[in-house]
Amino acid sequence: MKHVGATLLALGLAAAAGAQSPPAPSGASTCIDCHVALDDSRISPPAKAFPGDVHARAGLTCASCHGGDPKAEDQDAAHDARKGFRGKPSPGQIPSLCGDCHADAARMRQFDPKLRVDQLSEYRTSGHGKALAKGDTAVATCASCHGAHGVLPVKDSRSPVHPTRVAQTCNRCHGDAALMTAHKLPSDVYAKYTRSVHFEALTKKGDLSAPVCNSCHGNHGAAPPQVGSVANVCGTCHATFAEQFRASPHQNAFAELGLPGCVTCHENHEIGHPVDAFLSDGAQSKCTSCHEAGSAGARAAAQMYDDLQELERETREARLALRHEAEAGMEVSKVEFELARADEALTKARADVHLAQPAVVRRATAEGLEIARTGKAAAARVRGERAFRRKGLFLSLGLIFVAITALVAKIRTLDRRHG
Amino acid sequence: MSEATGSSSAESERRPAPHASVLDWARDRIGWEDFAHLATKKTVPIHRYTVFYYLGGMALFLFLVQVVTGILLLLYYRPSASEAFESVQYVMAEVPFGWLIRSIHSWGANLFVAVVFLHLISTFFLKAYRAPREMTWISGAILLFLTMGFGFSGYLLPWNTLSYFATKVGTDVPAQIPGIGPLLSRILRGGSDVTGATLSRFYGIHVAILPAVTTLVLGVHLFLVQKQGMSVPLLVEKKNGRSMPFVPDFLLRDMVGWLTAVGLLAALSAFFPWELGRKADPFSPAPAGIRPEWYFLWMFQGLKYLPAEIAGVPGETLGVFFFGALALVFLAVPLLDRKSSAGRASPWWNRLAIVAILGAALLTVLAFRPPPGAHR
Repeated sequence: MKHVGATLLALGLAAAAGAQSPPAPSGASTCIDCHVALDDSRISPPAKAFPGDVHARAGLTCASCHGGDPKAEDQDAAHDARKGFRGKPSPGQIPSLCGDCHADAARMRQFDPKLRVDQLSEYRTSGHGKALAKGDTAVATCASCHGAHGVLPVKDSRSPVHPTRVAQTCNRCHGDAALMTAHKLPSDVYAKYTRSVHFEALTKKGDLSAPVCNSCHGNHGAAPPQVGSVANVCGTCHATFAEQFRASPHQNAFAELGLPGCVTCHENHEIGHPVDAFLSDGAQSKCTSCHEAGSAGARAAAQMYDDLQELERETREARLALRHEAEAGMEVSKVEFELARADEALTKARADVHLAQPAVVRRATAEGLEIARTGKAAAARVRGERAFRRKGLFLSLGLIFVAITALVAKIRTLDRRHG
Repeated sequence: MSEATGSSSAESERRPAPHASVLDWARDRIGWEDFAHLATKKTVPIHRYTVFYYLGGMALFLFLVQVVTGILLLLYYRPSASEAFESVQYVMAEVPFGWLIRSIHSWGANLFVAVVFLHLISTFFLKAYRAPREMTWISGAILLFLTMGFGFSGYLLPWNTLSYFATKVGTDVPAQIPGIGPLLSRILRGGSDVTGATLSRFYGIHVAILPAVTTLVLGVHLFLVQKQGMSVPLLVEKKNGRSMPFVPDFLLRDMVGWLTAVGLLAALSAFFPWELGRKADPFSPAPAGIRPEWYFLWMFQGLKYLPAEIAGVPGETLGVFFFGALALVFLAVPLLDRKSSAGRASPWWNRLAIVAILGAALLTVLAFRPPPGAHR
């Protein structure tokens, strides 16, 4: 009776998982029946979670990982070491245990030919894997991120490794000050990340392609990018900037100074919105941390800053002037549309800053300035046209008034004549 | 030879003398004395409601303004989904005084509709539709429908976002008629949706079909007005009224009104040039606050208040039938109001009209309220 109840509970849980609830593990298994029924917070939750696990959907059973006899009704028989029972694997055993299947191309092909099988080898190159190999068990293994019994596909938004949740998952350990101090690592990385443009893109704009921890550090082979490879990592998304940086004098200079490419100016986890003032000698300056005032580098930065500021100001003024005319009822939509090309030139000029060649930036800003000034001239022309219309109107109204006066005079004459 | 000379001299006597003025020459061929006689014979009654007579002339003047400015716009307008907006943009920004012509056309259209409404309202309350002027009223009512048709078809022509989506809503309305409704909507649109085909169709309706029909109906209307003379309201009919000659006394007064209208249109165009908006994008979602021109708003708002279903019939279908019935009653007022035709007062008709006008005005005001959640 107890078994029937436990089975019904398991079925109920599976049904509650939704219309697409997974099929029950193939073959009769007494593991879940017993473990669900046990009133033990260590034992029953895994059994309850397993029917929704991606492995259960693929037909695997408890015995696939834990060994033993899933058909035996007696605990001793089920947990018989002679039948391969290995119980709960230790952290050190987990990567190999998962790798038994996930590193076996022939085996994985049976489930999904597209699935990668290099996770274990990647893991061994990771900071986590290397530490584990040295006997440090307080590091992440497969189950730390994916879970053990309720493993979900990465695309499932409930999965702890889904893009929207992966940063919080990493933060479970990397936000633990005691653990991180023991490993000589910072524990404020997540807090910094939440202030970044990447987090903003992910959470406010819902952009699932926005970078999360594993986008830069790798997932199974997670490790900090090396100084020389930072530009490559950022360049996977910011390809143009990376290319420009490589063509800039900064590439070799940074390498000589041991400075990482992009993060020297943009930070790593707390990447804010870039501003032109990075090039200035003000509080937000980035250039002055290396280039002394009056040096060639500082002068180059100042010129680029001035050029960008000028284009930004001219475009803004042109837009304001045109908007003012549009609000006064004048037709300027075509010129306003053209002004978008000045914005594009500004964007291009800002990108060209990564080349650190003021002449290139000036070429881009000059193009934009011409468009912005054409816009301003158009706004001035339209303002003149508006004034002309007003004058024309008052002149016309004057003439109309004279004509009406003449008509009224004529009407009065007629009225007098007709009595 | 002498005979030939004699015949030639007789012919030269019949021909106008060489020194006769060009006007005399033309008069002999056209004979406009008949028209001049008609004009001098026409008189306008003088009483305390005479001012309402000017509304008819004002409507006619504004119609002519629409014709002239419309023809000028035709020189640049291109009736296709890919070029319509750009051609109007070109008229507004590049063509010398194009902005003035388009703004006068747009403001004039609204003023024209307003004057036509006022003309009909005054005609109604002064009972000018009573026998024998039933046909004048009916032709006038048809002219009002045609005017609204001009407004509806012209609204789409700039092919901007507001006009596009308002036309989508407007052309959905006939689809509510059971049976032929969907077909009617399809015919109006030239397809299942508002597309470039609808634009060319509306263009044809606006610049060819409606002007042709309007000219015909307007001709009948003016002929009847001329034939039957100005109606004198019941209230002043029995008094021995004075009158003034139409030419030049009334015409000069008319001209004062027309010149004032020109001044008003010029001022509106200079200070508030008619907005062009953004080009229609059929793939973008409809912006908030989509609504038709103000003279359709009362119907638009009325349809909104109807429940989805009334006694098993879709609410909008009933609404369309109601407005259709209202139009028929409006058209047949002279035939239904027997008391006025018999020369007696018809206060119930007046009360009904006041309720209808106030109701339409209230619905119009309600429709102008910003949609819930809109930024103010």
